Amino acid sequence: MIGVVIRKELLEVRRSPILLLSMASLPATVVAVPIALLAWLVRAAPEQALLFVQDVYGVRESAGVAAGIASVLARNWLPMFLVLPIFLAVLLAAQSIGGERERRTLEPLLATPVSTLSIVAGKSVAAMVPALAITWIAAALFCLGIDAVAGHMLLPDSAWLFGTLALSPLLALFGNATAVVVSSRVLDPRAAQNLAATTVLPLLALLVFQLAGRIALGPRFYFALAAGVAAADVALIAIAVRLFDREKLLTR
Amino acid sequence: MAAIEADALAKSFGGRPACREISFTVERGEVFGLLGPNGAGKTTTLRMLAGLYAPDAGAARVAGYPITPGRPGGPELRARVGLLTESPGFYDRLTARENLMYFARLQKAREPARRCGALLDRFALREHADRPFAELSRGMKQKLAIARALVHDPDVILLDEPTVGLDPEATREVRNVVAQLAADHATIVLCTHHLEEVERLCSRAAFIAGRLVAIHEIRRGSLLRIELAAPFAPDGVRALCHSLRLSGSTLLIEPRAEVPEIVAALVRAGARIAEVAPHRDPLEDAWLQLLAEARER
Repeated sequence: MIGVVIRKELLEVRRSPILLLSMASLPATVVAVPIALLAWLVRAAPEQALLFVQDVYGVRESAGVAAGIASVLARNWLPMFLVLPIFLAVLLAAQSIGGERERRTLEPLLATPVSTLSIVAGKSVAAMVPALAITWIAAALFCLGIDAVAGHMLLPDSAWLFGTLALSPLLALFGNATAVVVSSRVLDPRAAQNLAATTVLPLLALLVFQLAGRIALGPRFYFALAAGVAAADVALIAIAVRLFDREKLLTR
Repeated sequence: MAAIEADALAKSFGGRPACREISFTVERGEVFGLLGPNGAGKTTTLRMLAGLYAPDAGAARVAGYPITPGRPGGPELRARVGLLTESPGFYDRLTARENLMYFARLQKAREPARRCGALLDRFALREHADRPFAELSRGMKQKLAIARALVHDPDVILLDEPTVGLDPEATREVRNVVAQLAADHATIVLCTHHLEEVERLCSRAAFIAGRLVAIHEIRRGSLLRIELAAPFAPDGVRALCHSLRLSGSTLLIEPRAEVPEIVAALVRAGARIAEVAPHRDPLEDAWLQLLAEARER
């Protein structure tokens, strides 16, 4: 039954150009803007840019201006790619579950013999697969772009590999489970989406502090984050399955 | 064994009772009506029978599967029940066929593609099958929703307000579909505000107003009410009637012949007729009385 739900959910996503556009716009920005900025800085103001990264980040890059700035981006831009799986999963999951109520498809869906666990799992997988696929494609493009501008292979390093391959799935699950929990309590899918999306704020704050040179997130932080998110995932899934009760959903 | 046995079902939400003392049985092949004003507990009753709500008290058996307090019907029950919800509830971007196939698979229908094709044909939706659901007319959407309720060949069909919000043409279409199902001896519980639907399709109807008020047997055949201006012995026209009852100056006739023929026979027999009108079905009287009582409460 999970397969039936997943297939239908993915078909709906494919048929929604606005949703696809909104899903593609953030990753495109996250990839294109820093690389374009990097390329522009290297040409327009190379000395000032190098001085800036030396002052703020203490970078001493012997391979040149482009490599110096690229290494800063490579080191500091990873949190943005950790925001993506959460944000994209929330975007899809809040629509798919809250949308059922809004389109009044919830009652006929719950009237079938399919279990609530299958519905939650099917919708979750259908939200996480595109979120992860887009994140991985965006990360690969970013790595290629940075390497091209730097002139040698900077990315992916071990932090990027761990972040995108291990941490991203955990974060996508976190975003999805949060959206399921929120949309089982909040009637309006857009409100549920906005509320669930606020979970990216701590990561964005870390990104801002790191870009400002105030903190430097290292492997220990990413391991700790992975452990914390995994624990939160288990708790959120348990809550989501308990909240996804036929009667409670129909009477809210 | 009856298809549905409900015994003193009760349900409340947040301490507010939605319905109580709901008891009735529906035999296999029977079309049973649920009538009542808005908020009377009809949909709550239907949802309990569909395995969506657990009753607070009472018990029921639907298609042989039990519903007990705190325990709604399980997946086996839901697999044997077809529910038409008040709103069609489909996915706008999927086509009619994709929508129907999705629910057929969730309902574990045998040979879902063939079953869906047959239902699309039966409800004259074949040529619209590959259009997105959002582009279908209200009548088509409702017919598709009825097809979904039948897609797994259920033992019991629960129809919640099948014609609500439809234009007259779509209403007629949907009523014909339900009449077809009734003629095929499907077991149906029809929840509606429309008396004519119940009169036309149901053999019995339960009046619900927070609790079960009465179960009414539907009498087929229209009665003719003839008001007499003077006393008259109607024996001479008995042959033209299935039944004939004189009560004061009112003559109630279940006609065997055409109305003009009966009126002519009465006049020939010396009756002085003041008025001839169709007699309101007792269902309407009972309904109006129930509404008045509900308003008083």
